[in-house]
Amino acid sequence: MEDEIFEQRTDLTKLNTAVEQIKATLAKIIVGQHDSIDLLIAGILANGHILIEGVPGVAKTLTAKLIAKSIDAKYSRIQFTPDLMPSDILGTSVFNPKTTDFEFKQGPIFGNIILIDEINRAPAKTQSALFEVMEERQITIDGHTYNMQEPFTVLATQNPVEHEGTYRLPEAQLDRFLFKIEIKYPSLDEEIAIITQQHGQKTTDQLKHIEPVLTAPDVISLRDVVMGLHVEHKLIAYVAKIIHESRNNKSLYLGGSPRASLAIINAAKAIAAIKGRDFVTPDDIIYVSAPVLRHRIMLTPDKEMEGVTPDDVIGQIIQKIEVPR
Amino acid sequence: MVKLKPAVFFTLIFAIFLSSSSFAAIKKVPAKTQTDTSKIQVKSFDSKEIKKSLADKDFNYNDIHNAGQPSLWARFWSWLWDLLFGWVDKSTVGGSIMKYILLTLSVSFLVFVVFQSLGIDPIKLWQGEAKKINVPYSESLENIHEINFDGEIEKSVSQRDYRLAVRLLYLRCLKQLSDTHLIQWQIDKTNSAYVYELTDPVQKQTFGLLTRQFEYVWYGDFPIDQQAFVNINQLFQSFKKQLV
Repeated sequence: MEDEIFEQRTDLTKLNTAVEQIKATLAKIIVGQHDSIDLLIAGILANGHILIEGVPGVAKTLTAKLIAKSIDAKYSRIQFTPDLMPSDILGTSVFNPKTTDFEFKQGPIFGNIILIDEINRAPAKTQSALFEVMEERQITIDGHTYNMQEPFTVLATQNPVEHEGTYRLPEAQLDRFLFKIEIKYPSLDEEIAIITQQHGQKTTDQLKHIEPVLTAPDVISLRDVVMGLHVEHKLIAYVAKIIHESRNNKSLYLGGSPRASLAIINAAKAIAAIKGRDFVTPDDIIYVSAPVLRHRIMLTPDKEMEGVTPDDVIGQIIQKIEVPR
Repeated sequence: MVKLKPAVFFTLIFAIFLSSSSFAAIKKVPAKTQTDTSKIQVKSFDSKEIKKSLADKDFNYNDIHNAGQPSLWARFWSWLWDLLFGWVDKSTVGGSIMKYILLTLSVSFLVFVVFQSLGIDPIKLWQGEAKKINVPYSESLENIHEINFDGEIEKSVSQRDYRLAVRLLYLRCLKQLSDTHLIQWQIDKTNSAYVYELTDPVQKQTFGLLTRQFEYVWYGDFPIDQQAFVNINQLFQSFKKQLV
């Protein structure tokens, strides 16, 4: 009916086709996790970095690898360990005896899709190496600035911080991630489906037959489409209210930053595009609020002791604010 | 080391013993008193200086004139105390306790007044309550039960503001659903939440369609002309009949 009255202003056909293909590719290997996959795709379309958290064995790395494989771009993987140095990530200047000069040897961060596995295994010194590259998409070494190639997306996995041998990521770094996606244990039916699927596998290399769906230029053009989507002014005010309330909420020690406001808007645009709309609705904003805010806010110590989660507080904040219509 | 023969050794010991006894046997000679024959110079104190020092306040350790007299500040507090709490007997133990309680209350009241004058609510500050946010937002806390829909829709249509007219049609639709207890109106619920709340499949489908129309017009800012408004209005009217 709406097609009879309203003609589409933005052509989202290519985007929706690509999203459906990526989902279909992932569905061959990943059971369930529909929301997580939607958020991963939305994160890439919104030009953001994504942090995936979950206990060991819930296919965090596999999901990230599949997403990376579905894009035909330079992919590199960094396994974070406690003894990793910043130069191991960014690169270092090496003396060349032939030219009698120092040459910069690029580190694994020089890529399009960077998978950082177990990001919270490295201490704060190594984490700090990612600050500049994640926000400004460039690195500065020995006075030289090296720009990253677009698209540049960091997909990082981490175990919950309560686990052995892990470090809490600095707040400044957490704020640079668009989403923190929490991967939960599968339901009973999903668990059965996982076992059945694995049992029927003919090969040990599941990723062997995964074909890329998008190229790097495709991703850049789709990001431009997403950036151009319409957001009504009242919805911008709605997002601002959510973030302001997070800063004044008595359960929170640290609220959302202006970067969080922008992240909600960008992520909501990507979700709207995935749903085939060229405008954002309050549903999109509510849908992305928890993944955008849960790693950016900090609970007060008493609330943490009571077992309150960031998602609980985000839910309470959203309940307080009137949906604009 | 040279080894001494026992005979020589004992001879030496004996000699030492004798010498010490001979010292002990020396008689003490009485001491002679020495006479100081030097000339004595007599010195006298300056009586003027003595008088001056005696008159100096710094050397007066028995200032009986000011002893026991309260300072101006202490007298002020004493006056204020008598004015406010003169009825309390300070000499008893209970009175002393009461004194401190009343002083604490007075100070607390003073702090409260200072905070209030600064525009800070000290009770909320103490309780750690969240400060209310005040974002300028014209539709805030709009109550659908208080809007004169017919009049407002008519006004919007006459002004050719079809976008606002569609919004009012949708809000009226929500009011009707709320009045018939098909949905529970709450400020934090989204349109899709109301769609899911409907149990009748036909109503759900029709209301879902109306919701999409509203969202395209209101959130999507899609341009709407008179003909499009007439079509949308017909959909709303037919849904209204379904509810009756």
